[in-house]
Amino acid sequence: MNALGVAIRVEARKARAARPVLATSVLFAGGLLALAIGMTLAASSGRPELVGKLGPLADARGWELYLGVAIQVAGAAGLLATGVVLAYLVGREFGDGTIAGLFALPVPRAVILAAKVVVFLAWSLVLALAVGLAVLLGGLALGLEGQPGDVAAALVRLVALVPLSALTAVPVALAASLGRGLLPGIGLAVVLLAAAQVAVVAGAGPWFPVATGALWAIDPAAVPPLAFLPAVTLPVAAGLVSARVWSRLQLDR
Amino acid sequence: MSRLRMRDVTRLFAGGAGVREIDLVVEPGQIHALVGLNGAGKTTIMRLALGMLRPDAGEVAIDDEPLGRRAPALWARVGHLVETPLAYGELTGLGNLEIGARLHGAGRRGSAIARAALAEFGLEAYRDVPVRRLSLGNRQRVGIASALQHDPALAVLDEPTNALDPSGVIRVREALLRRADAGAGLLISSHHLDEVARIAHRITVVNRGRIIGTLDPAGRDLERELFEALHADDVATGAAA
Repeated sequence: MNALGVAIRVEARKARAARPVLATSVLFAGGLLALAIGMTLAASSGRPELVGKLGPLADARGWELYLGVAIQVAGAAGLLATGVVLAYLVGREFGDGTIAGLFALPVPRAVILAAKVVVFLAWSLVLALAVGLAVLLGGLALGLEGQPGDVAAALVRLVALVPLSALTAVPVALAASLGRGLLPGIGLAVVLLAAAQVAVVAGAGPWFPVATGALWAIDPAAVPPLAFLPAVTLPVAAGLVSARVWSRLQLDR
Repeated sequence: MSRLRMRDVTRLFAGGAGVREIDLVVEPGQIHALVGLNGAGKTTIMRLALGMLRPDAGEVAIDDEPLGRRAPALWARVGHLVETPLAYGELTGLGNLEIGARLHGAGRRGSAIARAALAEFGLEAYRDVPVRRLSLGNRQRVGIASALQHDPALAVLDEPTNALDPSGVIRVREALLRRADAGAGLLISSHHLDEVARIAHRITVVNRGRIIGTLDPAGRDLERELFEALHADDVATGAAA
């Protein structure tokens, strides 16, 4: 097996057994489902103070409201949850001191970092499918009304938003590598989330790479396809620089 | 061919600490021990030998292959434990040894190698136990097993008997001697001079970032000889308090 294959198997095994990864997944999926169900039930009870807070979703009902809330929550919390997991996957080697054991191996360190990112993106796909299924079952249980075509399209956007958020979070790997620990990575995840919120409020819109995925999931018509170019370029560049950092790493501090 | 050769290696850190002009050879079949006080530079020398630090000057070669030009696959012939064992708390004893073997290029044989290592290092009881539940000493045992299980031609072990109980010390001692007998070169550091005297073929003394001489492993009072060497060096360099 080649070096990348070995590294992916090793990293996947570690991630599967890691409690922080499982805990973050459960919290994200459970929290998102609870918020979507709670807001939908509250809005249908007609409480004006709540309906007012729903913004563009204030007039929505049934599946449209339910999936709209789920997408809004996934857009913000998804960036934080995936950022935390990536910060853990990369930063824990420094925090636990196991980085020393990743030297002097036939598997180069840059390949190990690449394997971490691959496993991270694969995990985000699994999480996305689990969230999609949970939200679908939740909506069916609530007996919501809506057009099947619209429901399916919104559900697909919700599922796509999780790996898109994971992709957006890739610069966290660079922060955890340069800062040599979990906290710098988690710190950057929080900064990315805040930056996305500010950018949306300030009207920077879909061309701001951190916000592109979430804005597309909320309203695909508002995001030109070319806006995904910076949104993809940034994480790819951050990933390549992270691999370089791992390759040139010295245990000098 | 020497397993490890460091020639005139210097690496300094900000503030002036570091190691200077290190010349060191580990021959096949040799257990070469580094001794010295805390902060003398033993761990820095080991990090330089493994590419964890790049020298400011000088050259490091493993099996006569300079580190900078070494093909990644050749690292399969090296095993090491410097400071922290490669042992992840969430994985079991066996799981950690399996990933250690695979990362050292064992491929499909990884599982068989890991199982043999469990037996050799007396870790069968911890086969299915997550390493986070193990004592410090048993975690160290897992780390040593992971460093030696693939029978490397060169092993670099920083304080290998650290935190081990007496039976663990004997297991590790026998494992080191077996590998040296089979032709491996081993570079170890230790504060346990009795232990060093039992297994080392060559003892190098490190003081204040430099190699200042050797001790005879057959010497009668190693502790006294070590302190005499350190004192003489401190007097010669004007560093004595």
